[in-house]
Amino acid sequence: MWRGLLLLWMTVSMVAAFTWAPLVPGLEETTRVLYFHIPAAWLSVVGLGWSMVHSLLYLGRRRIEHDDHAAAAAELGLLFCVVATVSGSVWAKAVWHSYWNWDPRETSIFFILLIYGAYLALRSAIEGEERRARLSAIYSAAAFVTVPFLMFVVPRIYFSLHPDPLINPGGKIEMDPRIRIGFGAMLVGFTGLFAWLLSLRVRLVRLERVQLEAGAVPGGSL
Amino acid sequence: MSGNLVVLGVALLAWLLLFFYLMRLERRIKELEKR
Amino acid sequence: MPSNGSSSAAAVWAVLRKECRSEWRTRYGLNAALLFAVTTLTAVSFAIGRLGNRTDLLAALLWIVLLFAALASLSHAFVREVEGRTLLLLRLVASPAAIATGKLVFNLLFLGVLELVTVPLFLVLMGAPPPRWGAFLGILGLGSIALGGCATLVGAVISQARGRGALYAAVSFPLLLPMLAAAVSGTRAQWEGGPVGSEARLLTAYAAAVVGASLLLYDRLWED
Repeated sequence: MWRGLLLLWMTVSMVAAFTWAPLVPGLEETTRVLYFHIPAAWLSVVGLGWSMVHSLLYLGRRRIEHDDHAAAAAELGLLFCVVATVSGSVWAKAVWHSYWNWDPRETSIFFILLIYGAYLALRSAIEGEERRARLSAIYSAAAFVTVPFLMFVVPRIYFSLHPDPLINPGGKIEMDPRIRIGFGAMLVGFTGLFAWLLSLRVRLVRLERVQLEAGAVPGGSL
Repeated sequence: MSGNLVVLGVALLAWLLLFFYLMRLERRIKELEKR
Repeated sequence: MPSNGSSSAAAVWAVLRKECRSEWRTRYGLNAALLFAVTTLTAVSFAIGRLGNRTDLLAALLWIVLLFAALASLSHAFVREVEGRTLLLLRLVASPAAIATGKLVFNLLFLGVLELVTVPLFLVLMGAPPPRWGAFLGILGLGSIALGGCATLVGAVISQARGRGALYAAVSFPLLLPMLAAAVSGTRAQWEGGPVGSEARLLTAYAAAVVGASLLLYDRLWED
């Protein structure tokens, strides 16, 4: 069973990351944060992409399953995004002595947090399953258009206004092969976790809907 | 080194707890889906 | 039956005239926007005084004032229809894309009028250095189109939800963020003597993308 494999994989990866992989010279003890913070951020972005793609699919095919995926991925993505943002901020305080600096990556994760928050707020304000699915899909599609712009705006703004001295350590870190292996393993493990959580959430949503439909038509009412 | 192991221990514990919680969820959902 | 094809331009024009007339009757939205802009400017100017050499603050403040005045008033275009129950009537006469385009053009005109009052007032009250008019107006215009496009789309989506006021601001903001960054940066650059080409290109592309996406999405909006 692949869940058992996931358990084993994550356990071994964590042990390896903490004991076998060395520390990064500049980061010392805080090195270990990267094994959690970067996968969380990465999956948050993947979740957003998954949610947006399913929103577009919903607008095209009108199958409610796509909306289920869009909403579930958004909830999970928000969770992972919060984890990434908080862990990143604490890490920044430890290494750069400042919780928040509008560094390009910090800005991007903040933007993703905003999109998720707005999307979920919008969903909670609309009644009616079909209408909610449709309107939130439209919003997701519009947000989908703006994401690449932020990817181009942010580097331009920050190079022209403040050449950022706080270079993201991601560039330097992947030098020691043991760190790279540990990181890759954790990333795979986290991805498996995300996929599992997503499938659980989607199945729950479907069960709720089946129950709702069953409850609306009590036995023998036709 | 020992501080490192403490953090590792906490992280592993958290992961194991999460895993078993998720397995319970998984079983309950499977049951509901069969009905 | 609903007009389409060559008469859709006529539909857009008709919606536009209707919007102008209903707005002019009450002037509710215009008053709200102008009041907001003037109040904010006065408060800031009173508290801080002239910001002659702080081009970074000036650029940011200008767009903040415009942003909030726009958010305070542009959502009304669609809410008015829903509350007045006139949406169904409109949809009998024109296609969703024509309605939304008409409202978009109206919102852009509205923003134009708002800026006609607000921008000179801003420049005077805040003691801003004389702008490079071409670059300044270019960035202002492009940013306004992007702002109007986003605000109209969000207004259309929100009009069918509850709790509109706070939701509108929260939902628009992520869409507006890249545009705001570019607009503020461009406005600042033209005061500092730098080039605004890249910001202008970005804003153009952004405005085109948002308006284009909106037009594609409007057809899905009202299907109940």
